[in-house]
Amino acid sequence: MSLLFRSKKTDKGAKATQVTGFRRFMMYFASHIQQAVGSLGELWRTPFASMMTIAVLGLSLTLPATLYVVVKNSQAVGTQWDNPAEITVFLQKSLNAQQVETFARRVEMMDEVASVQHIGRDEALREFRDYSGFGSAIDYLESNPLPDVLVVTPSREYSAAGRAATLQRQLAGESEVSEAKLDQDWIERLHALIRLVEDALGALALLLCIAVVLIVGNTIRLGILNRRDEIMIMKLVGATNGYIQRPFLYTGAWYGIIGGLIAWLATFLLIWWIRAAVLRVTELYDSQFRLQGLTFNELIILWVIAVSLGLLGSWIAVRRHVAEIEPR
Amino acid sequence: MIKFEQVSKTYPGGFQALNQVNFHLRAGELAFLTGHSGAGKSTLLRLIALMERPSVGRVLINGHDLRKIKSRQIPYVRRDIGVIFQDHRLLMDKTVQDNVALPLLIEGYTHKEAAKRVSASLEKVGLGGKERHYPIMLSGGEQQRVGIARAIVNKPPLLLADEPTGNLDPKLSMDVMRLFESFNSVGMSVLIASHDLGLIARMRYRTLTLKDGRMIDDGLANDPHEPNASMQRGSGV
Repeated sequence: MSLLFRSKKTDKGAKATQVTGFRRFMMYFASHIQQAVGSLGELWRTPFASMMTIAVLGLSLTLPATLYVVVKNSQAVGTQWDNPAEITVFLQKSLNAQQVETFARRVEMMDEVASVQHIGRDEALREFRDYSGFGSAIDYLESNPLPDVLVVTPSREYSAAGRAATLQRQLAGESEVSEAKLDQDWIERLHALIRLVEDALGALALLLCIAVVLIVGNTIRLGILNRRDEIMIMKLVGATNGYIQRPFLYTGAWYGIIGGLIAWLATFLLIWWIRAAVLRVTELYDSQFRLQGLTFNELIILWVIAVSLGLLGSWIAVRRHVAEIEPR
Repeated sequence: MIKFEQVSKTYPGGFQALNQVNFHLRAGELAFLTGHSGAGKSTLLRLIALMERPSVGRVLINGHDLRKIKSRQIPYVRRDIGVIFQDHRLLMDKTVQDNVALPLLIEGYTHKEAAKRVSASLEKVGLGGKERHYPIMLSGGEQQRVGIARAIVNKPPLLLADEPTGNLDPKLSMDVMRLFESFNSVGMSVLIASHDLGLIARMRYRTLTLKDGRMIDDGLANDPHEPNASMQRGSGV
């Protein structure tokens, strides 16, 4: 404990109070708790300044968290249609109903094909009229411009992307067929889009995290400078840098803890807000899709990230500034 | 207790605050350090409290060369040195209790143990019962004594005071000096920097004199009446 007077202290011997290792550990533990609670009290005494920093931290994390939810749900949508496995076959318009029927049956007999759904050209036109909004305009058409369509579902072993493409080429080669389309392109585009959003999200999250660290660091730095005299006096009476730093680190941790709660709340609100809009869209697509919020684990991760950022910001500030202050 | 060997201190910019200073303060000794303003009194104390490092020479405390003390060990050295300032350096937004308890809490005492020692320390300086006061509610003399209570609360073997009576009237100054005497009588080594020559003369202790950074008198040569008792008391360096 004493550096210069080690021998002297032991000379005094029994008179000095004996402090056991366990006691010392407990005292250390207790002083940590005291400092943690003290830091919280300090926040409470300057609620406005603290809340600003905490709000910045919380709201900065809300944006990536919400985007993450969006990406997660888009991925879920993407995987639902991961096996496209539907080939839309547009038939030649010159075919009559008999020929279409024969061709449809022939396709259905193929080993590679599980089922065939025939959408007649009249039916297609009716559907188009109902849903497209061109209703009355279509009535002016002299003849139906739409071809007969076969929606071909490949059998299980042919539904993989490569094999489905082979089947698509084979169907396209038939003389009755004007065009065969594997409904895969849009899924690839969707995936590419999701990847783009993911990358953008990563970059955005990184930038926001850096901003949070800087803001917390700056707030802590101001706190340190405000208490410059106090720190000087503490150093004079033998406080280590670690002892002086601790309350500031706890302040950073509190920023993270409370900021994390704000991020939760704001993310919940945002998701609740867009849930209604998503519902409307999915209704149009006749889908059973439900927007998934953050799971328990993800909430904990969000919280851990918030606390880590708070700690990191304050750590950077104390590393630099507490050591700088020397008693004069 | 304190030994200076050929110590010089030159501040950045070329100002030489101390020039080849030698002296030896024995354990259990009380001594004054005098000299005009700017003679280097504060610098000398700051070298002992490791607030500065000497440019040349070495400073030893209790036989330990301070050059060998790494900067992360400085706090532990300071815990053994009570320092008192002219401007007392109290935390104005903390109670007397919290101010005096600071060194104890830093050392890891619990609040309960600290409170006991704080009241004993305040009792010693004549401020018993003022624990709950804020420094601003106290007079200058009382504030100075709070600073003294803080310096001695963890019973350091060495006490340094830099112009402790600078802002006090003669009566209060004498009271403060009597306090230092009482600490010295229980074995604490005390070094007091002061330019209050009248007061020092009345106290009849060893007096070290600095002039323009040189020690022109270490208080031993020309004072045969220096009480030998205080020198015999300390056996360590």
